Amino acid sequence: MKVEYVTPFVAGSVSVIQTLINSTPERGKLSARPQMFTSQQVNIVCGITGDIEGQVIYGMSLLTANRMASKMLGGQPVPQFDQLAASAIAELGNMISGNSVTLLAQQSYTCDITPPTIVKGSNVKISTLDIPALVIPLVVADVGEIEINVSLQQRKAKAEAA
Amino acid sequence: MAKRILITDDALFMRVTLKNILTQNGYEVVGEAQNGAEAVKLYSELKPDLVTMDITMPEMDGIEALKAIKASDSGATVIMCTAMGQKNMVVEAIQAGAKDFIVKPFQPDRVLEAVGKLLAA
Repeated sequence: MKVEYVTPFVAGSVSVIQTLINSTPERGKLSARPQMFTSQQVNIVCGITGDIEGQVIYGMSLLTANRMASKMLGGQPVPQFDQLAASAIAELGNMISGNSVTLLAQQSYTCDITPPTIVKGSNVKISTLDIPALVIPLVVADVGEIEINVSLQQRKAKAEAA
Repeated sequence: MAKRILITDDALFMRVTLKNILTQNGYEVVGEAQNGAEAVKLYSELKPDLVTMDITMPEMDGIEALKAIKASDSGATVIMCTAMGQKNMVVEAIQAGAKDFIVKPFQPDRVLEAVGKLLAA
Protein backbone atom coordinates (compact mmCIF):
# COMPACT_ATOMS: atom_id res chain seq x y z
CA MET A 1 0.00 0.00 0.00
CA LYS A 2 1.27 3.45 -0.90
CA VAL A 3 2.17 5.87 1.87
CA GLU A 4 0.72 8.68 -0.26
CA TYR A 5 -2.74 7.27 0.53
CA VAL A 6 -2.07 7.56 4.27
CA THR A 7 -0.71 11.11 4.39
CA PRO A 8 -4.11 12.74 3.61
CA PHE A 9 -5.75 10.77 6.42
CA VAL A 10 -3.17 11.93 8.95
CA ALA A 11 -3.48 15.54 7.76
CA GLY A 12 -7.27 15.25 7.68
CA SER A 13 -7.42 13.83 11.21
CA VAL A 14 -5.18 16.55 12.64
CA SER A 15 -7.13 19.32 10.94
CA VAL A 16 -10.58 17.97 11.92
CA ILE A 17 -9.58 17.43 15.56
CA GLN A 18 -8.04 20.91 15.71
CA THR A 19 -11.22 22.54 14.41
CA LEU A 20 -13.54 20.40 16.55
CA ILE A 21 -11.90 20.58 19.95
CA ASN A 22 -9.14 23.16 19.50
CA SER A 23 -6.33 20.74 20.33
CA THR A 24 -3.47 19.60 18.10
CA PRO A 25 -2.92 15.83 18.23
CA GLU A 26 0.57 14.43 18.43
CA ARG A 27 1.46 11.94 15.72
CA GLY A 28 2.97 8.60 16.74
CA LYS A 29 5.03 6.09 14.81
CA LEU A 30 3.69 4.52 11.62
CA SER A 31 3.46 0.73 11.62
CA ALA A 32 2.15 -1.92 9.25
CA ARG A 33 -0.22 -4.84 9.72
CA PRO A 34 -0.62 -7.62 7.20
CA GLN A 35 -4.39 -7.34 7.50
CA MET A 36 -7.01 -5.00 8.85
CA PHE A 37 -7.16 -5.86 12.51
CA THR A 38 -8.08 -3.77 15.51
CA SER A 39 -7.81 -4.52 19.19
CA GLN A 40 -9.53 -1.29 20.19
CA GLN A 41 -12.83 -1.17 22.08
CA VAL A 42 -14.54 1.37 19.83
CA ASN A 43 -13.97 1.37 16.07
CA ILE A 44 -15.45 3.59 13.41
CA VAL A 45 -15.36 1.86 10.05
CA CYS A 46 -15.52 4.07 6.95
CA GLY A 47 -15.60 2.70 3.43
CA ILE A 48 -13.76 4.52 0.66
CA THR A 49 -14.86 4.00 -2.94
CA GLY A 50 -13.65 5.42 -6.24
CA ASP A 51 -10.14 5.69 -7.70
CA ILE A 52 -8.81 4.36 -4.41
CA GLU A 53 -10.88 1.85 -2.48
CA GLY A 54 -10.85 0.06 0.82
CA GLN A 55 -11.46 0.96 4.41
CA VAL A 56 -10.27 3.30 7.09
CA ILE A 57 -10.86 2.41 10.72
CA TYR A 58 -10.54 4.88 13.58
CA GLY A 59 -10.00 2.89 16.79
CA MET A 60 -9.89 4.00 20.41
CA SER A 61 -10.63 2.87 23.94
CA LEU A 62 -14.09 3.37 25.40
CA LEU A 63 -12.71 5.97 27.80
CA THR A 64 -11.10 7.91 24.94
CA ALA A 65 -14.35 7.72 22.96
CA ASN A 66 -16.35 9.10 25.89
CA ARG A 67 -13.85 11.91 26.49
CA MET A 68 -13.76 12.81 22.79
CA ALA A 69 -17.57 12.82 22.57
CA SER A 70 -17.74 15.02 25.66
CA LYS A 71 -15.37 17.56 24.09
CA MET A 72 -17.33 17.47 20.82
CA LEU A 73 -20.52 18.15 22.79
CA GLY A 74 -19.04 21.32 24.25
CA GLY A 75 -17.94 19.77 27.51
CA GLN A 76 -21.23 18.04 28.30
CA PRO A 77 -20.38 15.04 30.54
CA VAL A 78 -20.50 11.65 28.81
CA PRO A 79 -20.53 9.05 31.62
CA GLN A 80 -21.43 6.23 29.25
CA PHE A 81 -21.18 5.52 25.56
CA ASP A 82 -24.82 6.25 24.74
CA GLN A 83 -26.52 6.91 21.40
CA LEU A 84 -25.46 10.57 21.28
CA ALA A 85 -21.82 9.75 22.15
CA ALA A 86 -21.75 6.97 19.53
CA SER A 87 -23.17 9.37 16.99
CA ALA A 88 -20.53 12.00 17.82
CA ILE A 89 -17.73 9.45 17.41
CA ALA A 90 -19.23 8.13 14.16
CA GLU A 91 -19.47 11.69 12.89
CA LEU A 92 -15.82 12.25 13.85
CA GLY A 93 -14.93 9.36 11.53
CA ASN A 94 -17.18 10.75 8.82
CA MET A 95 -15.63 14.22 9.05
CA ILE A 96 -12.06 12.90 9.01
CA SER A 97 -12.83 10.64 6.04
CA GLY A 98 -14.59 13.46 4.16
CA ASN A 99 -11.77 15.93 4.74
CA SER A 100 -9.13 13.33 3.84
CA VAL A 101 -10.91 12.41 0.62
CA THR A 102 -10.93 16.12 -0.25
CA LEU A 103 -7.13 16.08 0.19
CA LEU A 104 -6.89 12.92 -1.96
CA ALA A 105 -8.82 14.78 -4.68
CA GLN A 106 -5.99 17.34 -4.73
CA GLN A 107 -3.69 14.43 -5.70
CA SER A 108 -6.17 13.63 -8.54
CA TYR A 109 -7.79 10.66 -6.83
CA THR A 110 -11.56 11.04 -6.92
CA CYS A 111 -13.21 9.08 -4.12
CA ASP A 112 -16.43 8.94 -2.15
CA ILE A 113 -17.07 7.74 1.38
CA THR A 114 -19.77 5.51 2.86
CA PRO A 115 -21.69 6.37 6.05
CA PRO A 116 -19.65 5.31 9.12
CA THR A 117 -20.35 2.14 11.08
CA ILE A 118 -19.38 1.70 14.73
CA VAL A 119 -17.99 -1.66 15.78
CA LYS A 120 -17.65 -2.18 19.52
CA GLY A 121 -15.63 -4.99 21.08
CA SER A 122 -11.94 -5.82 21.11
CA ASN A 123 -9.90 -8.07 18.83
CA VAL A 124 -12.04 -7.39 15.80
CA LYS A 125 -10.71 -8.62 12.49
CA ILE A 126 -12.19 -6.89 9.50
CA SER A 127 -11.17 -8.63 6.33
CA THR A 128 -13.39 -7.78 3.41
CA LEU A 129 -10.37 -6.86 1.32
CA ASP A 130 -7.01 -8.53 1.66
CA ILE A 131 -5.00 -5.32 1.77
CA PRO A 132 -2.30 -4.66 4.36
CA ALA A 133 -3.07 -1.84 6.76
CA LEU A 134 -0.89 1.08 7.77
CA VAL A 135 -1.51 2.29 11.30
CA ILE A 136 -0.86 5.76 12.71
CA PRO A 137 -1.55 6.55 16.36
CA LEU A 138 -2.57 10.10 17.25
CA VAL A 139 -2.39 11.25 20.83
CA VAL A 140 -4.96 13.91 21.75
CA ALA A 141 -4.24 15.78 24.98
CA ASP A 142 -6.77 15.07 27.77
CA VAL A 143 -8.59 12.61 25.48
CA GLY A 144 -6.31 9.68 24.70
CA GLU A 145 -5.01 7.81 21.70
CA ILE A 146 -6.88 7.45 18.43
CA GLU A 147 -5.48 4.85 16.05
CA ILE A 148 -5.98 5.38 12.35
CA ASN A 149 -5.90 2.16 10.31
CA VAL A 150 -5.70 2.82 6.59
CA SER A 151 -6.23 -0.08 4.22
CA LEU A 152 -6.57 1.20 0.67
CA GLN A 153 -5.62 0.16 -2.83
CA GLN A 154 -5.92 1.66 -6.25
CA ARG A 155 -8.98 0.43 -8.12
CA LYS A 156 -8.04 -2.15 -10.71
CA ALA A 157 -9.38 -0.35 -13.78
CA LYS A 158 -7.50 2.81 -12.85
CA ALA A 159 -4.31 0.85 -12.10
CA GLU A 160 -4.46 -0.84 -15.51
CA ALA A 161 -5.08 2.43 -17.31
CA ALA A 162 -2.14 4.07 -15.58
CA MET B 1 -42.17 35.09 13.22
CA ALA B 2 -39.09 32.90 13.51
CA LYS B 3 -37.76 31.51 10.25
CA ARG B 4 -38.45 27.77 9.93
CA ILE B 5 -35.60 25.36 9.22
CA LEU B 6 -35.44 21.66 8.33
CA ILE B 7 -32.22 19.88 9.34
CA THR B 8 -31.01 16.83 7.37
CA ASP B 9 -28.19 14.66 8.72
CA ASP B 10 -27.88 10.94 9.48
CA ALA B 11 -25.84 11.68 12.62
CA LEU B 12 -27.82 12.48 15.78
CA PHE B 13 -24.79 14.41 17.04
CA MET B 14 -24.86 16.72 14.03
CA ARG B 15 -28.63 17.26 14.26
CA VAL B 16 -28.29 18.18 17.95
CA THR B 17 -25.34 20.52 17.23
CA LEU B 18 -27.09 22.29 14.35
CA LYS B 19 -30.35 22.54 16.27
CA ASN B 20 -28.57 24.16 19.24
CA ILE B 21 -26.79 26.68 17.04
CA LEU B 22 -29.98 27.61 15.20
CA THR B 23 -32.47 27.70 18.08
CA GLN B 24 -30.07 29.70 20.27
CA ASN B 25 -30.03 32.32 17.54
CA GLY B 26 -33.75 32.73 17.07
CA TYR B 27 -34.52 30.18 14.37
CA GLU B 28 -37.18 27.51 14.67
CA VAL B 29 -36.14 23.96 13.76
CA VAL B 30 -39.39 22.50 12.44
CA GLY B 31 -38.08 19.10 11.41
CA GLU B 32 -35.12 16.74 11.50
CA ALA B 33 -34.58 14.28 8.66
CA GLN B 34 -32.18 11.34 8.97
CA ASN B 35 -31.69 10.72 5.26
CA GLY B 36 -32.48 12.25 1.89
CA ALA B 37 -35.78 10.44 1.43
CA GLU B 38 -37.05 11.74 4.77
CA ALA B 39 -35.92 15.25 3.86
CA VAL B 40 -37.91 15.19 0.61
CA LYS B 41 -41.01 13.97 2.46
CA LEU B 42 -40.66 16.45 5.33
CA TYR B 43 -39.99 19.31 2.92
CA SER B 44 -43.33 18.85 1.18
CA GLU B 45 -45.14 18.53 4.51
CA LEU B 46 -43.46 21.39 6.37
CA LYS B 47 -42.51 23.85 3.62
CA PRO B 48 -39.56 25.22 5.65
CA ASP B 49 -37.83 28.52 4.80
CA LEU B 50 -34.47 26.74 4.61
CA VAL B 51 -33.04 23.20 4.55
CA THR B 52 -29.60 22.10 5.75
CA MET B 53 -28.51 19.02 3.81
CA ASP B 54 -25.78 16.49 4.57
CA ILE B 55 -24.48 14.53 1.55
CA THR B 56 -23.19 11.15 2.78
CA MET B 57 -26.32 9.45 4.11
CA PRO B 58 -27.95 6.04 3.80
CA GLU B 59 -31.15 5.49 1.71
CA MET B 60 -30.94 8.65 -0.40
CA ASP B 61 -27.88 10.90 -0.41
CA GLY B 62 -28.04 14.67 -0.08
CA ILE B 63 -27.38 15.48 -3.74
CA GLU B 64 -30.32 13.32 -4.86
CA ALA B 65 -32.52 14.82 -2.15
CA LEU B 66 -31.49 18.35 -3.19
CA LYS B 67 -32.47 17.59 -6.79
CA ALA B 68 -35.82 16.11 -5.71
CA ILE B 69 -36.64 19.10 -3.50
CA LYS B 70 -35.68 21.59 -6.22
CA ALA B 71 -37.80 19.63 -8.73
CA SER B 72 -40.86 19.94 -6.47
CA ASP B 73 -40.19 23.56 -5.50
CA SER B 74 -37.70 25.52 -7.58
CA GLY B 75 -37.68 28.29 -4.96
CA ALA B 76 -36.46 25.99 -2.18
CA THR B 77 -33.48 27.30 -0.19
CA VAL B 78 -31.09 24.44 0.51
CA ILE B 79 -27.57 24.68 1.94
CA MET B 80 -25.23 21.71 1.93
CA CYS B 81 -23.52 20.86 5.18
CA THR B 82 -21.12 17.98 4.65
CA ALA B 83 -17.69 16.55 5.33
CA MET B 84 -17.11 16.14 1.59
CA GLY B 85 -15.43 19.32 0.39
CA GLN B 86 -13.90 18.35 -2.93
CA LYS B 87 -14.46 20.60 -5.89
CA ASN B 88 -16.57 18.24 -8.00
CA MET B 89 -19.00 17.77 -5.11
CA VAL B 90 -19.32 21.52 -4.52
CA VAL B 91 -19.84 22.16 -8.24
CA GLU B 92 -22.47 19.43 -8.52
CA ALA B 93 -24.38 20.75 -5.50
CA ILE B 94 -24.31 24.39 -6.66
CA GLN B 95 -25.37 23.37 -10.19
CA ALA B 96 -28.25 21.40 -8.67
CA GLY B 97 -29.40 24.56 -6.91
CA ALA B 98 -27.74 24.56 -3.47
CA LYS B 99 -27.36 28.12 -2.16
CA ASP B 100 -24.26 27.52 -0.02
CA PHE B 101 -21.82 24.73 0.83
CA ILE B 102 -20.53 24.36 4.39
CA VAL B 103 -17.75 21.86 5.07
CA LYS B 104 -17.83 19.99 8.40
CA PRO B 105 -16.41 20.48 10.94
CA PHE B 106 -17.61 24.09 11.02
CA GLN B 107 -17.63 26.99 13.44
CA PRO B 108 -21.16 28.05 14.52
CA ASP B 109 -20.57 31.48 12.96
CA ARG B 110 -20.11 29.92 9.53
CA VAL B 111 -23.59 28.37 9.74
CA LEU B 112 -25.21 31.53 11.14
CA GLU B 113 -23.61 33.68 8.46
CA ALA B 114 -24.89 31.43 5.66
CA VAL B 115 -28.39 31.08 7.10
CA GLY B 116 -28.63 34.77 8.04
CA LYS B 117 -27.66 35.93 4.56
CA LEU B 118 -30.18 33.67 2.84
CA LEU B 119 -33.07 34.37 5.18
CA ALA B 120 -32.51 38.13 5.49
CA ALA B 121 -34.91 39.00 2.69
